[in-house]
Amino acid sequence: MQGARHNELDRRRFLQLTGIATTAGLTSMAGCIDDSGGGSDDEFVVTQGEFATTVDPNGHNDAPTYNVLDQVYEPLWDITPDGELEPRIVEEWSHPDDSTMELTVRDDVVFHEGQEMTASDVAYTINRAVDEDVGIASEQADRYPGVVGAEAPDDTTVVIEHESVPSIVEFNVATVATVVSEEWMEEREQPVNEELNGTGPYQVEEYTPDEEITFTTFDDYWGEVPDLDPVRFRGASEASTRVSELETGESDLIVNVPPSDVANIDEADGVEVRTVTSLRNIFLVMPNDDEPFDSQEFRQAMNYAVDVDAIIENVLDGFGSPTSQPIPEGIFGYNDDLDPYPHDPEQAEQLVEDSGYSGVEITLESPEGRYLNDTEVAETAAQQIDQLENVSCDFQITDFETITESSLDADPSTSPDFFLIGWGNPTYDADYGLAPWFVSGQAAYNFEDEEIEEKILESQQTTDPDEREQLLQEINADLHEAAPWVFLHREESIYGIRSDVDWNPRADESIFLDEMSR
Amino acid sequence: MSLAKFLIKRLLQGVFVIWGVITVTFGLRAVAPGDPIDLIVDPSTSPEVREQIRQEMGLNEPLYVQYVDYVQGIFVGDLGYSYQSRRDVTVMVLERVPATLELAIAATIVAIMIAIPLGVISATRRHEPADYGATLFSLVGISTPNFWLGIMLILLLPVQLGVFPVSQRPVGFGPAVYSLVTTGYFNDLIAWFRHITLPAITLGTYFTALITRLTRSGMIDELGKPYVTATEAKGLPGVLIRFKHVLRNTMIPIITVLGLQLGTLIGGAVITESVFDWPGLGRRLIDALYAGDWPVIQGVLIFIGVGFVVINVVVDALYATLNPRVTDE
Repeated sequence: MQGARHNELDRRRFLQLTGIATTAGLTSMAGCIDDSGGGSDDEFVVTQGEFATTVDPNGHNDAPTYNVLDQVYEPLWDITPDGELEPRIVEEWSHPDDSTMELTVRDDVVFHEGQEMTASDVAYTINRAVDEDVGIASEQADRYPGVVGAEAPDDTTVVIEHESVPSIVEFNVATVATVVSEEWMEEREQPVNEELNGTGPYQVEEYTPDEEITFTTFDDYWGEVPDLDPVRFRGASEASTRVSELETGESDLIVNVPPSDVANIDEADGVEVRTVTSLRNIFLVMPNDDEPFDSQEFRQAMNYAVDVDAIIENVLDGFGSPTSQPIPEGIFGYNDDLDPYPHDPEQAEQLVEDSGYSGVEITLESPEGRYLNDTEVAETAAQQIDQLENVSCDFQITDFETITESSLDADPSTSPDFFLIGWGNPTYDADYGLAPWFVSGQAAYNFEDEEIEEKILESQQTTDPDEREQLLQEINADLHEAAPWVFLHREESIYGIRSDVDWNPRADESIFLDEMSR
Repeated sequence: MSLAKFLIKRLLQGVFVIWGVITVTFGLRAVAPGDPIDLIVDPSTSPEVREQIRQEMGLNEPLYVQYVDYVQGIFVGDLGYSYQSRRDVTVMVLERVPATLELAIAATIVAIMIAIPLGVISATRRHEPADYGATLFSLVGISTPNFWLGIMLILLLPVQLGVFPVSQRPVGFGPAVYSLVTTGYFNDLIAWFRHITLPAITLGTYFTALITRLTRSGMIDELGKPYVTATEAKGLPGVLIRFKHVLRNTMIPIITVLGLQLGTLIGGAVITESVFDWPGLGRRLIDALYAGDWPVIQGVLIFIGVGFVVINVVVDALYATLNPRVTDE
């Protein structure tokens, strides 16, 4: 029996070993053979945290979707990193009177499916977003405040009718409108979410909804044909997956690198990290409808109590920059003369004393995972406030939907007493950051101050750019003083990219592939 | 009770379960915090535009009207439209099914490949080091969180050693086989295989332990039975006895568990699919949850519910055929 058992063991071991050998063989074979379906080596792959939610250029208002669609649907203007408008589809523009804006558009632009672009396509694009009856009910309509509609008297002229000041209209239209073909759109069921037909430098090669889209350059493009070709856009919500993809070469550009992975990318060969300070402000809102935040001294005290530099250094690994006013630097109307509140606990305690709210208990609420390390930022700020001898500050996580639902309903009394939120400023004009927060009836209205409100309304009617800029700067100085928020920081956008690619990230978080080369 | 009657009863029960799933998932939306509109639109959207979008999506209707509309839609295969992309939810769910099935089946194969030899070794060498080794391995397997194992595999194999890709599956199994058949082009299938290996190992490890244990105890039971002694006495080689006769008898409960686990895998691959960016139902669900895209969340959950019910009815039917006594309950 003993002998027979040994015999079996040998056979079994033989089977095991062959099994292992086969698996190992298959593995190594699989490792050696090149990916065929994954595209060629020349393909440039961009991986964002999210893929485009839709391919209807007027059916959304979110940054990852703009990035994907901007390659196909061409913006009317180029915006330089400094926020200057440059001609693109629109060659010239003027303001014949206070309520109209006149554009002259190029006559050599064609759509990917062959239609020639005319001024009526541009007018239709604007009307489609602002007028529900023309297109679809779109949140993009908010990006055109004051724009009533557009029409095209001839093939190259577009007249935009508006109720706002020229510079606001210019920026609003320039940052959202990407031209679509009226004829092509009208033939399709609304919203158009299966096909794309734009005028941009890239046309669609293959589109898998919610997964990825492959572009190739468009040969009949009126401008310079871009260098990168072909290009693929995709989304991977796991940050660690994006970083691994960059390191293995599966992706060439990734967005939102977590600060903790920055060192890993720096050490890896052939890839690097590039950063830019974004136009998104992070701040703590203090609605002034209730005690103790109805006191300006108390609100200022909170600004002195929070050590923004320490938060940036310790919580954000240095990826952020302090702010002094509601508007980020680089936006029309930013006030250069203002400095961030310094960290001064003694001054803070004194101001609390002056406010008469000594010994008060407050709670700071923050969403989780919406902004870079948001809960840690808020928790640290709450601790710093709590260290004041005469204020005790608690911290609590509240889901983002609850915060936005209660705070963005134009009613300060329903808002949390003290909460963290972020606000982008994609239009390059201070109005987008001011009016929603400080003009009654607007969504984010949480701070009642009639004087400031009047000045903002006045700025919306001031047509002279210099005069308007001055007024906006004055408003920002007033708001620095009034301290409706604890001014925290601007987020840093962190990208991982192949080192041989020539590209500087943009503050407005846009990605234009035709600006890249290698 | 006849077999037909039994099956009809089971099917009716299944229909009620599915109706329950539909109602509960619909109810979840009603009790979830936050107004759906806040999830759909950007925070800076003005109240007027919010109202317009609310109307267009039918969210201004009373809840019972929305519910009746929804249930009526399901009868004709209409699960509504996604809040986000405004695509047809039925399409959005069905297009993700193949990738999830591929992964679930591949993970099952991985689990079988590891668990059954391990279980056999454990049973035949009871209380020997090999048995302890196998038990320890299965314990480690079940205790390892999926996301950790996935990330570790990624860091070790693709990032450090350069074998296997991280994600970006270029082609599904069906199209890969199709291209092989029509063009004789092997590379698509190889690319598919390379992409599924790591996720399948990650997901498969999860229930290797269960099957190892089942195989072990089943084998021990069977090995003590008289027919084993008889075949041994007859002089049949031990390997043949173990693998042809004993293991085969042990397989019946294992296959049952595998079938039911397949249902769990379809719904439970959320984490693995996210880590490997696998375009399956799990990732669709998690993306929809993040975006608060309720029609999609409901669609996926209903699909998973239906899958479970179907698997259960099929298993019941199989049992009833194999063992008519179960219809006498």
